[in-house]
Amino acid sequence: MNPPALRALLADSLTLWGVAGRVDIADSGLKITVGDQVLHVAQAAPEEAPMRWWLISETRRRPAASMLGLLRSLRYALNATSAEPARARVAAPS
Amino acid sequence: MIPVSVITGFLGSGKTTLLRSVLRDPAYAGSAVIVNEWGDIGLDHELLETSEENLLGLANGCLCCATRGDLARTLIDLAARRRSGAVTYHRVLIETSGLADPAPILHTLLMDSSIAEDHRVEAVVTVVDALLGAETIARHPEAAQQAMLADRLLLSKTDLAPDTSALEARLAALNPGAPILRAVQGAIQPDALFASAARPAALQHWLGAIATPGARHSLGVETISILREDPLPAVVLPLFLEALAEHAGEKLLRMKGIIRVAEAPERPAVLHGVRHVLHPIQWLEDWPSADRRSRLVLIGQGIPQWWPARLLEALEEEARG
Repeated sequence: MNPPALRALLADSLTLWGVAGRVDIADSGLKITVGDQVLHVAQAAPEEAPMRWWLISETRRRPAASMLGLLRSLRYALNATSAEPARARVAAPS
Repeated sequence: MIPVSVITGFLGSGKTTLLRSVLRDPAYAGSAVIVNEWGDIGLDHELLETSEENLLGLANGCLCCATRGDLARTLIDLAARRRSGAVTYHRVLIETSGLADPAPILHTLLMDSSIAEDHRVEAVVTVVDALLGAETIARHPEAAQQAMLADRLLLSKTDLAPDTSALEARLAALNPGAPILRAVQGAIQPDALFASAARPAALQHWLGAIATPGARHSLGVETISILREDPLPAVVLPLFLEALAEHAGEKLLRMKGIIRVAEAPERPAVLHGVRHVLHPIQWLEDWPSADRRSRLVLIGQGIPQWWPARLLEALEEEARG
């Protein structure tokens, strides 16, 4: 996924979560700034498969195997989760 | 399976009049009717001409909140009595109170396994007063919500409102996929209202609202459309739905889609969801029309216009490796 496309998706995600912040393209990937908090998103190297992404903060590097995992980690790191996470629930077959 | 339909609409919109008319139709006369009334004294059920055994009132609370448990118990109890032969009916019609949000009611109907084993949800019909509907929708979010969640919209009292074009435009903006039908004194062919909303023809109408991908806004509600030429890898579907529910579930009011899957391009997958509750993916035998593109319509509040499409592209790119 190219950096502009990833930047657009993550910027939209911040809006969706009600987080005021900015997403910029940086040397290492993307830089996410929310208030004083700075996070970086970097694409994993091929030899790190099945990991695809890294979410990097000052204190921690969180791996993610998919975009789904990256979004979840980012939202958690930004403390932007709702009180009750809305997991998909599949209705009983009829 | 016993078909269940929900009749909703704002206070005074004409739900009970409609129900009375429907129950006069021989094909619907044997329906079990559950009426939810707001207030200490229920009146609506007195106005319905049906057998005592088949009519149940849920008073003292709104079906979408206070009496949801009552709804579940009532349906389960009814089904048990039907199995024992104590009552006879072939469908259930639920009339909500005028202030009800249909989403939690659908949630109960879809998610309670003890209900779902005997029942299937067929259609949500929202009755809209042709004369006062536009003003009601503008002033009462409950009325807008009822319109947004409808499979079919029914204009009542059309004899009192010669020009309904502005109201119809507003309804089309709120819920572009729902057909708008008209009734005078509740008179309408019941089958036009209650035929299964999951049928290909009904789905086709819903998705026909897509002209160009993007979003339309009305009253703080966005209708987001995604149109795709290329088939999607099957693995993307559950990931997309999971992400949609997790991140936009509270903001997503309704979602329907027909998807061309790379592994089975001749058999479209039908997606159907209310908030974060999703119907199991349904596989049609064939495409309902010559249009074989994937089409997805989401109605929500506060979902960035391009977020669903960008998410879908990201997941697809991962799936293709």
